[in-house]
Amino acid sequence: MPGITIDGNNYEAAEGTTLMEVARREGLPISSVCYSDHLQSYGSCRLCVVQVEGQRALSAACTTVVREGMVVETGTPEVRRIRRTLLELYLSENAGQYRPGGSAHAELNDLATEYEASPLRFQGERHTVRQATVDNTGPYFSFDSSLCILCARCVRACDEVQGQNVLHLEGRGFSTRVVADPGTFDASACVTCGACVKECPTGALSDKRVLEQSQRPLPAHETPDRTVRTTCAYCGVGCQFEAQVSGNRIIRMYPVDDSPVNMGHACVKGRYAFDYVRHPDRLTRPLIRQSEKPGDFREGSWDEVVALIASRFTKLLESNGPDAVACISSSRGTNEENYLMQKFTRICLGNNHIDNCARVCHSSTVAGMQEVFGTGAATNSLADIESTRLILAVGCNPTEAHPVVGARIKRAVRRGTKLIVIDPRKIELTRYADVHLQLRPGTNVAVLNGLANVIISEGLADERFIAERTENYDAYRETVAAYTPESVEEISGVPADLLRRAARLYATSGASMAYHGLGVTEHLTGSYGVMALADLAILTGNVGRPGTGINPLRGQNNVQGSCDVGALPNVLTAYQKPSDPDVRARFEAEWRWPVPQQPGWKIPEMWEAALAGKLKAMWIMGYDAAQTEPNTDLVRGALANLDFLVVSDLFLSETALLAHVVLPASGALEKDGTFTNGERRVQRVRRVVDPPGEALSDAEAICEVAAAMGKPMLHRDPSEIMDEIARLTPSLAGISYERLEDGGLQWPVPVTHEVSNHPGTAILHTDRFPRGLARFAPVEYVPPGEEPDERYPLVLITGRVLQHYNAGTMTRRTRLGEVVDRDLLEVHPDDAQLYGLKDHCQARVESRRGSVCLTVRVSERVAPGTAFTSFHFPEAQVNTLLSSSADVITRCPEYKVLAVRATPLRLRYDWRGIK
Amino acid sequence: MTELFLSQDTSSRSIGSRDVLSALRTEQLQRGDFDLVLTGSRGAFFLEPMIEVSTPGGRVGYANVHAEDVPALLDGGMLDGAEIRPFYLGLVDDIPFLQKQERITFRNCGIIQAGSLEDYLEVGGGEALRRALFELTPEQIIEEVKRSGLLGRGGAAFPAGLKWQTVANCGSDEKYVVANGDEGDPGTYADRMLMEGDPFALLEGMAVCAVAVGAHSGFIYVRAEYPRARQVLQHAVDVARDSGFLGHNLLGSGFAFDVEIRSGAGAYVCGEETALLESLEGKRGMVRPKPPYPAVQGLFGKPTVINNITTLATIPPILRQGADRYAALGIGRSRGTIALQLAGALRTPGLVEVPFGITLRQVLDTFGGGVQEGRQLLAVQTGGPLGDVLTEQSLDLPVEFDAFAAAGGMLGHGGIVVYDDRTEPLELAHRLMAFCAEESCGKCAPCRIGTQRATEILASWLAGEAAADDRVLLNDIAFAMRGASLCALGSSACTPVISALNLLPGMPR
Repeated sequence: MPGITIDGNNYEAAEGTTLMEVARREGLPISSVCYSDHLQSYGSCRLCVVQVEGQRALSAACTTVVREGMVVETGTPEVRRIRRTLLELYLSENAGQYRPGGSAHAELNDLATEYEASPLRFQGERHTVRQATVDNTGPYFSFDSSLCILCARCVRACDEVQGQNVLHLEGRGFSTRVVADPGTFDASACVTCGACVKECPTGALSDKRVLEQSQRPLPAHETPDRTVRTTCAYCGVGCQFEAQVSGNRIIRMYPVDDSPVNMGHACVKGRYAFDYVRHPDRLTRPLIRQSEKPGDFREGSWDEVVALIASRFTKLLESNGPDAVACISSSRGTNEENYLMQKFTRICLGNNHIDNCARVCHSSTVAGMQEVFGTGAATNSLADIESTRLILAVGCNPTEAHPVVGARIKRAVRRGTKLIVIDPRKIELTRYADVHLQLRPGTNVAVLNGLANVIISEGLADERFIAERTENYDAYRETVAAYTPESVEEISGVPADLLRRAARLYATSGASMAYHGLGVTEHLTGSYGVMALADLAILTGNVGRPGTGINPLRGQNNVQGSCDVGALPNVLTAYQKPSDPDVRARFEAEWRWPVPQQPGWKIPEMWEAALAGKLKAMWIMGYDAAQTEPNTDLVRGALANLDFLVVSDLFLSETALLAHVVLPASGALEKDGTFTNGERRVQRVRRVVDPPGEALSDAEAICEVAAAMGKPMLHRDPSEIMDEIARLTPSLAGISYERLEDGGLQWPVPVTHEVSNHPGTAILHTDRFPRGLARFAPVEYVPPGEEPDERYPLVLITGRVLQHYNAGTMTRRTRLGEVVDRDLLEVHPDDAQLYGLKDHCQARVESRRGSVCLTVRVSERVAPGTAFTSFHFPEAQVNTLLSSSADVITRCPEYKVLAVRATPLRLRYDWRGIK
Repeated sequence: MTELFLSQDTSSRSIGSRDVLSALRTEQLQRGDFDLVLTGSRGAFFLEPMIEVSTPGGRVGYANVHAEDVPALLDGGMLDGAEIRPFYLGLVDDIPFLQKQERITFRNCGIIQAGSLEDYLEVGGGEALRRALFELTPEQIIEEVKRSGLLGRGGAAFPAGLKWQTVANCGSDEKYVVANGDEGDPGTYADRMLMEGDPFALLEGMAVCAVAVGAHSGFIYVRAEYPRARQVLQHAVDVARDSGFLGHNLLGSGFAFDVEIRSGAGAYVCGEETALLESLEGKRGMVRPKPPYPAVQGLFGKPTVINNITTLATIPPILRQGADRYAALGIGRSRGTIALQLAGALRTPGLVEVPFGITLRQVLDTFGGGVQEGRQLLAVQTGGPLGDVLTEQSLDLPVEFDAFAAAGGMLGHGGIVVYDDRTEPLELAHRLMAFCAEESCGKCAPCRIGTQRATEILASWLAGEAAADDRVLLNDIAFAMRGASLCALGSSACTPVISALNLLPGMPR
């Protein structure tokens, strides 16, 4: 390790580090405006020039690699003179202007003050302000070129951090300027990730909300006065933010640099889409239905609704038995709330009828991975993206649905990591992929088996791993033998040669890592798809090592946690079975109430029970079932059939409209707790602002109702709930709020006699699988629940777009609601021609269940014969098209394949008119 | 049959040799008693368009021919070398401008047919590559190049052999050879003359280099303003590839090396090697910080030899005739010859290849013919637009890299631009600064803003609005630019201006 001397002090530095890196690490102030910890050295501001002993010329610290014995002076008179002149030249360029809302502080102006640089020295008549352009076309930030000093950190962030390449330098010399290709942000491919804004040292790029705030005349108590670190409440990536708060108003969500999850990056939703918090639609008081008519509410008090709920639940249970009431909790809620909800169900209702919305996304993952590995969580960490040699992305669209992971994958590919994409659409990642297997929707199992077939027949399987750590290989080999590339081509449409290439790449990379999303799980054969994927990993020894494994991209922020804490009908915390007497004994000792043994209903079974009249009442927390469940008309019928429906939510959702009591809930930015992200990392959620009106956290509401039902759960603070979870759950035993202060822990975090401060577990299954040996699960391809025919010739896939989040309850109530204001139907140009559909025109889309109206976007992202739409807008009610087809094991709905026809709307009306 | 030689070099064509060619072709069709050989230029531009005729005694030249003169010349016995005034030059080899030169790099320019591989082989071409492939080990090739003392001719004068050695020592699956033909210094044209006049020498030099360092892919980066050079080179590359002189099996050796030609979009800074590499990679032409040097991390991050066109074209004669013969010429660290390009207010400007050591005054007087009658020399600028402005007092400097450096000037790529007293000194200073402002890539702050502010100050002087502290401001800018700029464009941009301000008459003090 080279030793160097800077200004007379000795330091050690790793081989290959730059002087600037050493200086930053040691907190030495070497001036710079173009250097950023997140970007490669660029060497353009030249403020960091230093004198290296023995060198004739000065050296830029940011591009000078340390050498043993290097002696550096950072502040010689010559260097200081140059810095001052450079700063004055910079100031002559932007007249010393600064506005807040870019990087953390006024970098240029602070330096100018330090060096007593005068903005006037090179000014006067000779000062040429670059033709100023102000671009306010983006939803969340503004660009004023007159403040720009061309440090190009924004351009580099767009390129290096997000991989979007929207920002360019145009022109040469003094007339160089930053432009968003092709001219303005709104016309560009900008994804509003904000990485550019975070880098801007002068505020030329600035968050609009910060600007608005800075222009608002403020009473003293509302000045930006505090920051609160918390976890993003959108997808399952779990990015860490510092919320900057003024009074009770969030000004900015600033992605923190020290999180191993997002490493200072963020996406448009996490960074900007928090406007919903103060939206006028927020529920602020409890509502009670006052007539038979759905949606006819009056306001009530908490005392009133708590008493009402307790009495109705109690009566219904007394008169109809313990199956009369069920609960659905939410993957959007905290671990503590989910834990309380299942505890409430098991103690106060005396049944196991508790489920959560993970049912409709990743239940297949849990079941499938459980089968092969013995546990259902991501085997590896997000950090492994940095070390893996190959990423296999199956049925996921991370650049839109998990953008920070998407950006990390793009960065990895640009470093040389290989990428295979298995997806029916040409999603953005396919442009980065070595191989794109564009399969027909619903044929995952065939394609994954086909990969295994090639790997086995070409002798690329990891025989040693198979022998030492797996079982049931022979049965598996027999099953996949039938899936030759040619036969798979017939089923899936994937060319045999491409399949071969992908198989070879996956098997021989040295470390291959799989990511999968709902494109795998939300199928009739969702669990089978996950098993086939997990089989591939153990076939090639790609599990239990850095840069390998099976890693589900969780759709919601706490899909992992809501299941971990037992909000499921068949298991308690950490998947412990209530049928196990030891487990039951432990829980009953803690809860001091009996734990029911009979497994409860899954969500679809609840609908069936409600329709059959067996289920009389429900409490649905933070889940808009009436918009997001498939075959929505059936679900609405089930909800309407209930005697009593309680809904807790931020807004009057489609489900809340059907409720008898609506409880105003506080959102993730308004309460304390924890979320567990997709890599099993339990992270703190902190109360950033106060909830509006009388809104309460779900935890508070549950405790109130439980108490009213005579079974009080005494928790004064969420940390006590986590302590209880830890007491009951060996794999979470080492977790406490105190230990989470430092950035989160990945479970298992066991406590043993020897270890009381276990550091968490980054990689699972390194030595053994929870079930001992991994077990190959041979699965056969089964066609999807619905296939196209003459009447319904198109296969419709549903999914998300970048700007919105699931039911859009939150994102539609932000400025993103204007950026993307409807669900679009993507159809291939061939089909557009065939069915007479035109870009921007309305189409009627019909399935066997229903029909909806969507705006057409002709696009080659989809293959001929397939179409795509999102499900973010209640106006469209896309999910009414869906059938009740679902995964055969977990009943995770088949959102991803349905047969539809699409007809142009206007023609249809014309035709009626003629008739 | 008698052969007529005519240059179709860009310079020649710009003063009428294309029309002369049409006239000759017309006559050829009718008379049919001569062959026409199209060559590059010999560099004696003041004689062009020049027709050369092969006679038993050697080539006889006819200078400053216009198309309309062609029939009369032919009728007057040009094919027999007749003494037709005022065109007749006698034996071309005896023209003092050429006779006093020592042509090694430019030995074939103006002599052989530019696009003919046969002609090239006939004058000894290919011998160097043959030796490199079949007689020498890569180490020996590099040793020869080192021994020749050849310094890079792009301007930085870095030892070519050392650069090759660095690349050869790098363990890498891919390496590249890049020929820098982005000749942007105003008043320079050696690279262009070579590419248009002897393209196979360049290809051979690149191939030898590739063998020495273990590269299999090469690029020639030709300045966008040189369409003809690109055309000639492309033809040569096609011919070479068809003949096994390039491609997957060089001269049947099994060694693979191929060359592609690329052009930029007309930015001066792309002549800087790292900006050139950025441009080759398809990016905006902006300078990279060094180190890492291209020899370690060059094109696409791989070890890369990037040499000037004339450097590479000098390799074949060195390898053919032996390094010692080359090293015997020159003085000090500067061995061999240098191609000086005379431009501006001289009587007989042109390309002059001479051994290092001759004084600047000798070059201007012996070859350039001095300034026009009745004019006074104002200034000489050497080494391109970033070079010092020299005056009469400095003309006895020997042409040699170190001597120039010691005197605070630079020899650079060998451009010598002469200004006489018709040039207004302040306008010259402003023009020099404005060039740098125009050509700054805009990456580093000192150059991007400094050149702009300095140009503005000089413009205000031109407008008669000098302010009291302007010289202080200029000095501060120059100090910061020299000390902190990212590349030589920035660090040298103020050099000629400051020297002009200090040395030339009538400047604001």
